[in-house]
Amino acid sequence: MASDLLSVSIDFETSHLFFPHIVHWLLAGLFLLILVTKVVPFMAAVKRGERTLPIIGEARDSKRFFGTLALICAYFYLMAVVGDLFPYTGYGFLFVSMVFVLLMSLMYLHDWTKKKLIIVVINAIAAPTIAWFVLAKLFTITLP
Amino acid sequence: MDFLAFIDFTFLLLVGFGTLVGIIFGAIPGMTATMAVAVCLPLTYALGLNHGLALLLGLYVGGISGGMVPAVLLNIPGTPSSITTTFDGYPMAQKGEGEKALRICVIASLVGGLVSALVLFLFAPLLADFSIKFSYVEKFLIILLALSVIASLSSSMLIGIFSGVIGIWLSLIGDYSISDGGNGHTRLMFDFMEPYLFEGFSLLPVLIGIFGISTILLEAEKGVKRDTAGERIKLGKEGGFSLSVFKGGLTNLTRSSFIGTFVGMLPGVGGSAASVLAYTQEKNLARDSSQMGKGAPQGLIASESANNALTGGALIPLLSLGIPGDSTTAVLIGAFTLQGIQVGPLFIPENHDTWYVMMVALVLANFVMFVLMFFAIKHIAKVVMVPKHILYPLIVMMCVVGAYAINYGIMFDVWTLLIFGVLGYLIQKIGLEVAPLIIGFILGSQAEVYFVKSLESFGTYSIFFTKSSIAMVLWALIAASVLFAIAMGFKSRARQKMELSQMHTPSNTTAGKRHDSTND
Repeated sequence: MASDLLSVSIDFETSHLFFPHIVHWLLAGLFLLILVTKVVPFMAAVKRGERTLPIIGEARDSKRFFGTLALICAYFYLMAVVGDLFPYTGYGFLFVSMVFVLLMSLMYLHDWTKKKLIIVVINAIAAPTIAWFVLAKLFTITLP
Repeated sequence: MDFLAFIDFTFLLLVGFGTLVGIIFGAIPGMTATMAVAVCLPLTYALGLNHGLALLLGLYVGGISGGMVPAVLLNIPGTPSSITTTFDGYPMAQKGEGEKALRICVIASLVGGLVSALVLFLFAPLLADFSIKFSYVEKFLIILLALSVIASLSSSMLIGIFSGVIGIWLSLIGDYSISDGGNGHTRLMFDFMEPYLFEGFSLLPVLIGIFGISTILLEAEKGVKRDTAGERIKLGKEGGFSLSVFKGGLTNLTRSSFIGTFVGMLPGVGGSAASVLAYTQEKNLARDSSQMGKGAPQGLIASESANNALTGGALIPLLSLGIPGDSTTAVLIGAFTLQGIQVGPLFIPENHDTWYVMMVALVLANFVMFVLMFFAIKHIAKVVMVPKHILYPLIVMMCVVGAYAINYGIMFDVWTLLIFGVLGYLIQKIGLEVAPLIIGFILGSQAEVYFVKSLESFGTYSIFFTKSSIAMVLWALIAASVLFAIAMGFKSRARQKMELSQMHTPSNTTAGKRHDSTND
């Protein structure tokens, strides 16, 4: 009888949903378990003030964190835009990377001294150039 | 000996270069071997198979070894696997024996690396031979075993399993590929996503995003703390090192190397487990462990030989079963695929030359690591001072190249970096685990094919239990790993309770709570 219970037939037309369906049930079950055993006690501890919520309740260097996210988004977006202006040259990567490396370095730099700024600028120009030359020119790898 | 023809000057150069870059990455706190491999991936696109392997394996070995440098000099593990190196390395450095400590580490690493390479060489073909007979049922169970082992070694088994299943879910996005015998329909997405996600997320951009971009985000959140520039690195006096340190340490060296290799074989288990296990074993079994934690060479030997032994160990399941042994080998699997290598039971029998070339590269990388670190340690030690504001933008840049070039210029792959970078950040923030998720992601689509095909041909779930004796052994192993996790859970809870009850000062209790929360 047990074999009847365990027997299964899979319709080919919907076979792409068979495994995801099982995974969904698993996820739901596990999530419930975690909710009961971990999240509820955790939230109780938060209420008592013993713990803090992750992300929301934590101290964060917002300027650098959101700055990083914004810079990365702009970098990815503009790379493609500039890259389309000069197709198959990798210039999109080269020029936008220079600006990106410069801005991100400046954002992460804590004390702006002349010496450090010079290093940052040199790095921002040299590093993307070297990467572009080695990858796009020597190795002929596709770059935006 | 045909394979010797593949080993030319460029090959040697690439092993050396890879190892050096790996050491540098490993030596910079926060950078890992995984990241070294991920960032240098674009370089391998243009290289042939053998040269690519030389570079990748060099990076791997170098990256794992490099972690010892900041561990000894700054008390910061450069990679998670060198955490136990700090216990004895830093006290030694404070006593002015930094250079001696590093040299002990280097030799221990070399031995660990070579022992594991030997085990790999002997064991991987056997395992591959054995697993060649596996049908879809056994293959599915192997994946299940892999996932349950990873989950059971996570800090909480439930969280580990949940993370793994999320990884599987992510891997199912896209079509149920016709080439795998599926019906070619897409699932788990909206129609407008189809142009981008028909084949799902590409493996490498996902990995690079999770390991590269999310690390940057985590650091940015902390404000990219000023570097350790203020602190002076103390290498200590010249010399003071002699091989006599290893006298009486042979058992320790051998034991730790084998522990490292074995832990490496377990899928998804990082180097920290290997070195912690070797360290505690030395503490329990050594005749005199009173000095451990205060600057005893035996602690360094245990920790470093174990974490380098991981390299060979982790390659065993990768090459013989196609299952990555840790996060670095997870990236390697992507790099191999790119080179046209399908890792799995057929890899070694069908690619004898490539297999030997890999072994040569692995052994060579260990020796290069030894030479570089033993003789040039003074200069390498300076790397820990590279300012992060210079380094991080470059890492993002290299991540972009790696992702963009992987499928010959698809911008969506670059956005995948960001998606998974943010996801990786969130996962780590809310306390889920990255390693099981990644392994789940890599193995998920195969698991689906094996599972559905087994059911289609046998028509019953019971086949997973009754197919063969191998299937039963695999179930026994799965049960054992679950029981192990439960037992360990009880043990650590009991220990925590004991520690908490012993602590009275308020500062200690908060530390106890923190510890508690990381283990929950």
